[in-house]
Amino acid sequence: MSEKSTGQYALEMSHISKNFGPVIALHDVDLKIRNGYIHGLIGQNGAGKSTLMKILSGYYPSGTFDGEIIVAGNNVELKSPRDAQQSGIAIVPQEITVAGTLTVAENILLSEFNKRGLKLYAKRDEDKAIEKFLADNGIPLVSSQLVDTLTLPQKQILMIASALYMNPKVLVLDEPTSSLTNDEIGTLFSIVRNLKVKGYTTVFITHKIAEIMDLCDSVSILRDGQVVYETDRTHFNSDTLISNMIGRSIGELYPTKNVIKSDAPVVLSVTDLIVENPRKPGEKMLDAFSFELRAGEILGLGGLVGSGRTEILKALFRENSVLAGKIQLGDGKVYGDAIPDALDAGIAYITEDRKIEGLLFNMTIRGNLTASIMQVLSAKGVLKRKSEKEIAKETSKSLSVKPSDIEALIGNLSGGNQQKVLIGKSLLVKPLIFMLDEPTKGVDIASKAEIYQIIHDLVEKGAGVLLVSSEFPELLAISHRVIVFANGKYQGEMVGDIDKEHELMLMAIGGK
Amino acid sequence: MKSLRISPIGKRVIFVFIIFGAFALLKNSFATYDSILSIVQGIAFVGIASAFLTLLITSGEFDISIGANAALAAIVAGELVAKSHLSLWLSIFLTLLVGLVIGAINGAVVLIAKVPSFIATIAMLFIARSFSVYISQAKAIENFPGLWKGFKGSVMGQYFSIIVMLVVILIGEFILNYTTFGKVIAAIGANKEAARIAGINVIRTKFILFMLTGVGAALAGIVADIHFSSARSSLGTGWELYAIAGLVIGGTSLFGGRGTVVGLLIGLLLMQIIASGMVAGGIDPWWQTVITGVIVLISLGIDRKRKKVFVNE
Repeated sequence: MSEKSTGQYALEMSHISKNFGPVIALHDVDLKIRNGYIHGLIGQNGAGKSTLMKILSGYYPSGTFDGEIIVAGNNVELKSPRDAQQSGIAIVPQEITVAGTLTVAENILLSEFNKRGLKLYAKRDEDKAIEKFLADNGIPLVSSQLVDTLTLPQKQILMIASALYMNPKVLVLDEPTSSLTNDEIGTLFSIVRNLKVKGYTTVFITHKIAEIMDLCDSVSILRDGQVVYETDRTHFNSDTLISNMIGRSIGELYPTKNVIKSDAPVVLSVTDLIVENPRKPGEKMLDAFSFELRAGEILGLGGLVGSGRTEILKALFRENSVLAGKIQLGDGKVYGDAIPDALDAGIAYITEDRKIEGLLFNMTIRGNLTASIMQVLSAKGVLKRKSEKEIAKETSKSLSVKPSDIEALIGNLSGGNQQKVLIGKSLLVKPLIFMLDEPTKGVDIASKAEIYQIIHDLVEKGAGVLLVSSEFPELLAISHRVIVFANGKYQGEMVGDIDKEHELMLMAIGGK
Repeated sequence: MKSLRISPIGKRVIFVFIIFGAFALLKNSFATYDSILSIVQGIAFVGIASAFLTLLITSGEFDISIGANAALAAIVAGELVAKSHLSLWLSIFLTLLVGLVIGAINGAVVLIAKVPSFIATIAMLFIARSFSVYISQAKAIENFPGLWKGFKGSVMGQYFSIIVMLVVILIGEFILNYTTFGKVIAAIGANKEAARIAGINVIRTKFILFMLTGVGAALAGIVADIHFSSARSSLGTGWELYAIAGLVIGGTSLFGGRGTVVGLLIGLLLMQIIASGMVAGGIDPWWQTVITGVIVLISLGIDRKRKKVFVNE
């Protein structure tokens, strides 16, 4: 909170350059953040955001980079994270870092404890003081609560509270929304807005344009180690922001839709299907609905989180049960009610939860890609290493998975590349119907574009795709048609058109 | 309902009383003053040696060498007093210094050379134990002069070790759970990164705790010398295991983040009551260790359930 009259900027980083050997990580970066602003810093993975923040946090000490840092008008030399803290820079890291066996108040006071050394800890008084601090800043936490019992978003908020308690001149939030749901993001935003009212200056790092549009007063876009664009709220335009971030125009993000052949056969037809609610056995998730999917078609399933989209996909995949109705393949055939039956019928389900359900994290790209075709790759139970490698290499290349080394561990890949491997894994089974559940969740924009292209290629080759996505523009831009569910009911169908986001939203909230 | 809630420590105290009561019913002589005194006496040295170890463990580190460290201290103090005829206070001071240095070496090996504390202090266990045997030539040092010897048999001598233990345990408990430094220790054990973000110097704090643990172990060696009026290199054999068992029973997390020195006292007491009770009851002593093992497992089970609410209360 800087009331200092010596300038209008809470933080200035000027002419910052940093190399790692021959690699230029940052080139002459200027970042100026006005007092009391919420300043967005966006950029894709590898754009230089984290290098810049590591410089600001003292992790890369002064001397290892060029340029200067000015906090509230004072030139500072940051030699360590401690220096950064003392200069009034508080950084809330992306990963949850809290002490679980301590209470909320104790976590917030930790920096204070450190200064006090060996002093009596008066729990009651401290709890009261922190209770007041939390209330003053509109932070919904209870000071005496044990941190282990907090939810993930509460822990995120606690980290912000702890940073705030150091009374920083600049508060830096590093991708704070990456693990939060929409509701939780709302709570976080209202806290950040409240801090603004209190006079705090915040740097908000994200790669989600919508969050910038919603929350920030100004924005800087980093790309390839340079600030390529900066502006303030009055000039915000989401297309401009996106194209600056990805370095190409928005139209190029989505591939042009293929035309479905007039004689394209139906590959899946669903009639009066009633899906069971997996959390309440015997009860239905949704009223009966019907639809058809044709070869070469991308059919979007629209709705809010919890509207039953995932449950429909899982029912078709036979992971969830159905209570009534008919599911038929193209030739009118039906398939059994176990997952292997669905696989045999040529249905692939690409889960939204790649961490838990989708990938083998301690295995290589090769191992993951070929995991479901082991039988094909084996002769009398012995794996044919050579053909396994060839197939893995080929698939990895066709999906442009990075790194190109198929022996790299999945756990070390970026979200986008993990997703590509996940798709590649089902691709190898050569299914007729792909069901993709949130395929671009947690994926940066460049990888998104690649994933769209992959989906596009699938239908070009004659597969049918069922797509679930919470990002409505994406859903509309990719799908030929979108069927919408809300309030446990089928709401209707609309043409996939990126300009109809408003219409889709109305339908998804059940308002038609 | 709230008033009926019993703290984890309270539950453990009740449990100790129940076990004690059960043995007392079996054997009347168990509940006598002398019997109780000998039980408490029996845990005094290991209690002194492991009080500050609790702090170290709460910070997420370990020290296996406390018993060997105590033995070395006992021998060094014995040599200084009985053979070199240094004054009592100077000898105590120098011996505590030896403990401090051993703790500092442990700390340096773990924190600077980055050797896991379990391994580093096992190495120290062997080294310190060997030195204590070598210096004493595996013989007990007996001829303690003056005040040192006069302790034995006197009233003060009888309670001395118990008083020192209680003082050390209360100091440890006070630091750990009633001071800001204690919260820093727990924070480091719970999440090193979170502590670092708060500006805490994790390495320095742990280093202090290693030294404190070393001093505590040396103090146990000195108190044992005073109590027995003799010094033996075999002192402290297996203390590390009793300390770990006592800590677990008492409710300290061996992974760090949460510790209680009073809980350690209760854990040690419980084990000693069972051991003494079985001897008094004429039960094969072989069963003692079996029962101790079972209790350790049971208390782990209690903690898994209680983990979330422990510090809160």
